[in-house]
Amino acid sequence: ADIISTVEFNHSGELLATGDKGGRVVIFQQEQENKTQSHSRGEYNVYSTFQSHEPEFDYLKSLEIEEKINKIRWLPQKNAAQFLLSTNDKTIKLWKISERDKRPEGYNLKEEDGRYRDPTTVTTLRVPVFRPMDLMVEASPRRIFANAHTYHINSISINSDYETYLSADDLRINLWHLEITDRSFNIVDIKPANMEELTEVITAAEFHPNSCSTFVYSSSKGTIRLCDMRASALCDRHSKLFEEPEDPSNRSFFSEIISSISDVKFSHSGRYMMTRDYLSVKIWDLNMENRPVETYQVHEYLRSKLCSLYENDCIFDKFECCWNGLDRQVEFFSVLHGSIVMTGSYNNFFRMFDRNSKRDVTLEASRENNKPRTVLKPRKVCGSGKRKKDEISVDSLDFNKKILHTAWHPKENIIAVATTNNLYIFQDKMN
Amino acid sequence: MLGKGGKRKFDEHEDGLEGKVVSPTDGPSKVSYTLQRQTIFNISLMKLYNHRPLTEPSLQKTVLINNMLRRIQEELKQEGSLRPMFVTASQPADPLSDNFREAQPAFSHLASPPLLPADFVSTMPLESCLTPASLLEDDTFCTSPTVQHDGPTKPPPPALQAVKDSFSSALDEIEELCPAPTSAEAVAAETAAGDSKAHPSESNIHKPEGLPESRTAESKLMDSLPGNFEITASTGFLTDLTLDDILFADIDTSMYDFDPCTSATGAASKMAPVSADELLKTLAPYSSQPVTPNQPFKMDLTELDHIMEVLVGS
Repeated sequence: ADIISTVEFNHSGELLATGDKGGRVVIFQQEQENKTQSHSRGEYNVYSTFQSHEPEFDYLKSLEIEEKINKIRWLPQKNAAQFLLSTNDKTIKLWKISERDKRPEGYNLKEEDGRYRDPTTVTTLRVPVFRPMDLMVEASPRRIFANAHTYHINSISINSDYETYLSADDLRINLWHLEITDRSFNIVDIKPANMEELTEVITAAEFHPNSCSTFVYSSSKGTIRLCDMRASALCDRHSKLFEEPEDPSNRSFFSEIISSISDVKFSHSGRYMMTRDYLSVKIWDLNMENRPVETYQVHEYLRSKLCSLYENDCIFDKFECCWNGLDRQVEFFSVLHGSIVMTGSYNNFFRMFDRNSKRDVTLEASRENNKPRTVLKPRKVCGSGKRKKDEISVDSLDFNKKILHTAWHPKENIIAVATTNNLYIFQDKMN
Repeated sequence: MLGKGGKRKFDEHEDGLEGKVVSPTDGPSKVSYTLQRQTIFNISLMKLYNHRPLTEPSLQKTVLINNMLRRIQEELKQEGSLRPMFVTASQPADPLSDNFREAQPAFSHLASPPLLPADFVSTMPLESCLTPASLLEDDTFCTSPTVQHDGPTKPPPPALQAVKDSFSSALDEIEELCPAPTSAEAVAAETAAGDSKAHPSESNIHKPEGLPESRTAESKLMDSLPGNFEITASTGFLTDLTLDDILFADIDTSMYDFDPCTSATGAASKMAPVSADELLKTLAPYSSQPVTPNQPFKMDLTELDHIMEVLVGS
């Protein structure tokens, strides 16, 4: 139940939300930067914890509905409260997280502990006043968007109009208005008339960051379709189809499975999008459909192990990927958004690729191997052959230690990396 | 513009199964290709039918595994068309793809799965379960209503493939066989209505007289098993029959040496298709095993014969 299933920074980066398999959401808040302690950015501490989803039972099918939180997406902040959408397999909920640091005192008819006073003892009237209290963070569900998905929800994405959002399951994508819970519009439906002919499912979907009528969805066959809602009510015909032709030299029984896309992320500009399949990260230019502009191999050494990974189901692991944020530091080198991409791997390793210099690094999120406040040591995995010092052999990788979820602070070089049960927060070394 | 990952080098020490995938046209490595394909086929079937989730299985995973099985079956079918000796005369035009398409139980979201094929699967001994490609494509197990079959002298279908192929017809049969359906079965009947309407003639043909006991037992079993996937039902049944003992004890790896495409080898004689009689003999010792803790399910040989007839479609 403590298995982390999603990680997401809010738009300012001050809050970091995690969802877990037990249906809980834990929000961390960054401490305000201490001007005197310029050597470190604020640390993240627990801000709020609440139970977002409970397990349910589908009586018609006699199956449990997992309470695991599949995705969390923050809304941009409009007032003092924070809002986020969290979803499990079937139901999306809009949560309001608000602070309370004052409370009224001095009621006429009630004692401070809530007991009612005997009215006959009241001789004078007073006006209640607000007095400070210990900060209390409250989370309350404001909207529940239910009963719109027959299949398992894998993605939610808030539109750039900040009024609507989409939710995608294996076969359908629905469009919601944040205020309306009893209706949603179906905008993509790939369910075949005869389910026996089903060969492809939707794996992820996202709205374009700037164009509110454009969205993309990826499939289990390694394709990405870009759709425009202005073209028709039901976007079954794509406007663009992004697909890379298969490399015949890499063909195997598992070609289709490893081509299945597990995550899609637009860059901030909306010009590029990044996709993650089992072995690689690909950067696509929206203007070019026939192949990605860049491909980064995450753990190519696994290609010869695909049969075992198929057997133990690891080949179905859904890794996510993320872009770096905007670095507000303008020092000698300004690291622009979109120049680094990050994704996870096995053995608690995660990888970063610098698109400009073409360098990449493998780092490990583990307490044993990294002392706090020390710089992470780069790791290297070698094939089954001879192993150099400090290298880790592919055969000794722990496939139970997988990093599926990573997130990058939108404005600073702070990253959140989730191992199975733990959340690691790293920041870049500041001088 | 590729990231500077380490180049993949051909490693001579790589184990044959895990190493480079060889194409089917390489001579001596054809065996390892077939072996790999067979292994993957078996793994795929195990994944689909040995999984007992409390929650709905991932549709994406199911689709990918099904696609894998389909592809392998297509390959086998193409290879099989080169070896007419294993194909019987009454083979319909496109048995594999038809059967496979028909029997896609994973997507039907049925409330209750059919047990008939599952029973059959579980009692098949290991040798039949892990039949190599030749028997796998010897798919006499056509569920198309228009096909007339020969008598029971035809070799029985390989167990694991039989599971997939027989589902929709088994659904019809179970619907027919259980006159007072439970709610679960009623839903199954509804969702299988498409299939059953399409195959009314077949159901009538295959309604044997001697099956009242097995019908009741089946309906009991269907009631007692949860889940909306045939997968879960067959799992329950399989584990109760201590399938582990059957499947994983003393795996005869000599079977893997058989290459259907080099039938000149002596191994061919080992793999003569299992006849129905031999099958029944091997099944006899398992007939008294209890099925579920609360629902003992005795299958005597007469019933088994009837079931086999139903499945084989004669």
